[in-house]
Amino acid sequence: MADVAIETIEDVVCGFCGLGCDDLRVEVEGRALRAAGTICPEAARLIRRLDVADRPASVAGTAVDLDTAAEAARHILLGARATLIGGLGTDMAGAGALTDLAIRFGGVLDHHASDGLFRNYASVQRTGWLATTLAEVRNRCDLLLVIGEDPAGQWGRLFERLFPEAPLFAEGRRRVVFIGGAPGETARRQLGHADISHLATDDPVAVLEALGALSAGRTPPGEAFGGVPATELAALAEAMGAAHYVVATWNAAAHDDGDLVAERATALVDRLNVTTRAGVFPLGGRDNIIGVNQLLLWRLGYPLRTAVRGQASAHDGALYATEAALGDADVLLWVSAFRPEPPPSFAGKIIALAHPETIFDKEPDVLIPVGTPGIDHAGTVFRMDSIVSLPLGALRVATLPSVAEAVRCIAEG
Amino acid sequence: MRLRLTGGRVLDPANGENGVATGSVRDIEIEDGRIVAPTDQRADAEYDLGGDVVLAGGIDLHSHIAGGKMNLARLLMQEDRRAFPEMPGNFCGCGGGRAVPTAHATGCRYAELGYTTVFEPAMVGANARGAHLEMADIPNLDTGAYLVLGNDDFFQRLLAAGAHQETINAYVGWMIEATQAFAIKIVNPGGINAFKFNARKLDLDEANPHYGVSPRRVLTTLIRAVTELGLPHPIHLHGCNLGVPGNDETTLATIAAAEGRRLHLTHLQFHSYGTEGDKRFSSSAARIAEMVNGNPNISVDVGQVMFGQTVTASADYMSQYRNRAIASPNKSIGMDIELDAACGVVPFEYKDKSFVNALQWAIGLELFLLVEDPWRIFLTTDHPNGGPFTTYPHLIRLLMDRDFRNAQLATLNKAAQAHTLLSQITREYSLEEIAILTRAAPARILGLTDKGHLGVGAVADIAVHTEDSDREAMFSTTRFVFKNGRLIVKDGLVVELAQGTTHVARPEFDRAIDKDMQRWFDESVGLKSKHFRVADGELRGGAGPTILKCEGVAS
Repeated sequence: MADVAIETIEDVVCGFCGLGCDDLRVEVEGRALRAAGTICPEAARLIRRLDVADRPASVAGTAVDLDTAAEAARHILLGARATLIGGLGTDMAGAGALTDLAIRFGGVLDHHASDGLFRNYASVQRTGWLATTLAEVRNRCDLLLVIGEDPAGQWGRLFERLFPEAPLFAEGRRRVVFIGGAPGETARRQLGHADISHLATDDPVAVLEALGALSAGRTPPGEAFGGVPATELAALAEAMGAAHYVVATWNAAAHDDGDLVAERATALVDRLNVTTRAGVFPLGGRDNIIGVNQLLLWRLGYPLRTAVRGQASAHDGALYATEAALGDADVLLWVSAFRPEPPPSFAGKIIALAHPETIFDKEPDVLIPVGTPGIDHAGTVFRMDSIVSLPLGALRVATLPSVAEAVRCIAEG
Repeated sequence: MRLRLTGGRVLDPANGENGVATGSVRDIEIEDGRIVAPTDQRADAEYDLGGDVVLAGGIDLHSHIAGGKMNLARLLMQEDRRAFPEMPGNFCGCGGGRAVPTAHATGCRYAELGYTTVFEPAMVGANARGAHLEMADIPNLDTGAYLVLGNDDFFQRLLAAGAHQETINAYVGWMIEATQAFAIKIVNPGGINAFKFNARKLDLDEANPHYGVSPRRVLTTLIRAVTELGLPHPIHLHGCNLGVPGNDETTLATIAAAEGRRLHLTHLQFHSYGTEGDKRFSSSAARIAEMVNGNPNISVDVGQVMFGQTVTASADYMSQYRNRAIASPNKSIGMDIELDAACGVVPFEYKDKSFVNALQWAIGLELFLLVEDPWRIFLTTDHPNGGPFTTYPHLIRLLMDRDFRNAQLATLNKAAQAHTLLSQITREYSLEEIAILTRAAPARILGLTDKGHLGVGAVADIAVHTEDSDREAMFSTTRFVFKNGRLIVKDGLVVELAQGTTHVARPEFDRAIDKDMQRWFDESVGLKSKHFRVADGELRGGAGPTILKCEGVAS
């Protein structure tokens, strides 16, 4: 293999975290991949591939060919009483094929990262919200509220993407206020040209509530809210009122009370829009959860956490969440093509369409290793804002089936 | 594959044929998805139509069927989905909903009404890839999308900098190609952009607070661009001040601003409001219809309001932000989008006992009945904004049956009845006129020469209705519907799902603009322009688009 030339591919699109960076550089040497240039640690880790033989498909731990594994999977699905189609880390083609599979065999559909999404939906579906997208934040936002823990750990280039040095419209030094955890080194570096401040609190909900009241011209009773002095909050409320475009961002998945964070942030942004402009920018989007959710909305009329059976579907955000649905299921079809995310602990039968490096606690009844979208095959994923979607390209010749191909194999026999 | 439809009364206004009026019947022959001249060859299948009325497949040139805002509407209005579950006997089991049906339900319900082609009128460029993925999942319909343009910062910057028309044309051409669009839609010209700079309204000659550009300039520049690029469909305009009493003056001024050049005014009903009367809300339908009648360059669709629960979804966030105060149920979503456009989703219930809603209903019908040329007015409810498309049969009866119309009017809000001249209008649409509004005229204004008619060479998209003096009953169901010569609906039920195509327009343009676009996307949008572009192979599951080449003057 020493003779294989290293090829560098520019402008690679990344489909892992939902931020949708599309300027990656990847060195390809045979089947080995290595990121080069500007990249976040998570993408660097997930893109790194060695030139090793793929793990074969297997049935009860015994290596078999794809057709045999698919046949065994179909047999399990046909005998299933209640199937959970979980994980759902897949591109749009895979999501479509899995929806077809659910319609044919029945099953509950949920994504492994849906907790944050549904905490946000608790707010969206009750009141709606006023939102914004990446390019608007980049260019308009002059005051950014970052609520909760510093999200730069999960979205390594978030602040670089949100706050470029030369925005089109935001004037003067842009402000970033961290409400909750302190900004880490990455955030501070990427926001080097902005004014950063930190309101330390372990109760951002109380802080947001007070900011909402202050922005509405009321003085909430109390000296401090969530441990932050009222005077500081009053000053921030005044700054928000004077700002041109305020953006509130948070990662609902990181908070047990993420639904309340979403609700209070939504209410604050609603209030600010009475006199100036503002938008929410909720974080999320891991492993194309937004794309899968979009597809379910247009195909079934419901978001994730929907059960399909008897040629009809029903949605219940609690009942059909992975953990609850597993309690009723006898079969788990686990799908994780983007990363080696193992299935949750489950006593019933497991069919895994999994990243080849997945380490299982218990050998799945059927394992079909699948290629990664954006590495082994082309595909489409959505960005976290649910508006923009991106074309992933293939970086090497695929030796594993895509999720869509594996699912079709299972369905068609 | 050869099919023969025998003994139908053919109603084909595009070719001057009216079998309903003459009572004559004839056969239609189909070979490999197209209508051919009659032969005596053996057909693979024959359908005896027994004197039923044969129409070209319906074409809806303005119906919101795909794109991010429809999914936001689905998310927000789960009660609509729950209230309208999967239809019984629906063999593929995916979907329901009425105001915002699923892709599958959209394709099936339209097909059952005899429609075979529907255009999504507000695709945001940033969302184009998603909109095309969604359209590919709509069965039984050919689709296409109009690209929302004019509020994007790239365009506003060009205008503010005094760019040459040639540069504008290149930009428009690039965007149409990149987003796989069919036409250009302007939504609240410059207003959506101005709202991002905190302007709450923008009149036709008001300056954008940041760029100083007026809606009039946006409009006239883009009219010229689509003309010079040779796009078949004129600018599809959702004008300024949607829903605002007194917007009649804006609408009249907008028609004048076109200065004789082709312009399509969409959902005109929402732009025909005066301020007369004690409620400061009145119908200006007569004034506006008169001006439409006098300006043959103008075409319109109505956006008729139909009573009941719906959800409004529009790129016009400026107007929808205003409307969220009257949301019913009380929740709404708004979004600024990608230096490109925006969207606003507001649930709404039109009530027949409400003065405003009843008058909106009457204004729409006045427009239908007072605009004289059926080739320049199209039957729409701006689905789902004025009401779901499934109300079309009822709307057709309102147009065709004066007694029925007046009986409906008599049940509405009393004050509204006093404010409309509807009861005095005697016009009743003929079947031929309905065929023009729903088939022949949309095909003509979209430049689809092989659709909307039943002549030799036409695509074999055909709807067969059994005549019924109750026109609502007649148009509520179809005896047969053929898509590309395949039977997809029989006796009102979908019997097969056909994969449609997506129409796109391909103008020629100066490709030197590409380097400007690369820089813009890199520096401002934060996305590579090549990743913004949607490739042919991304449409319709790899099948690619149906391309309409444009013969423009700006190459």
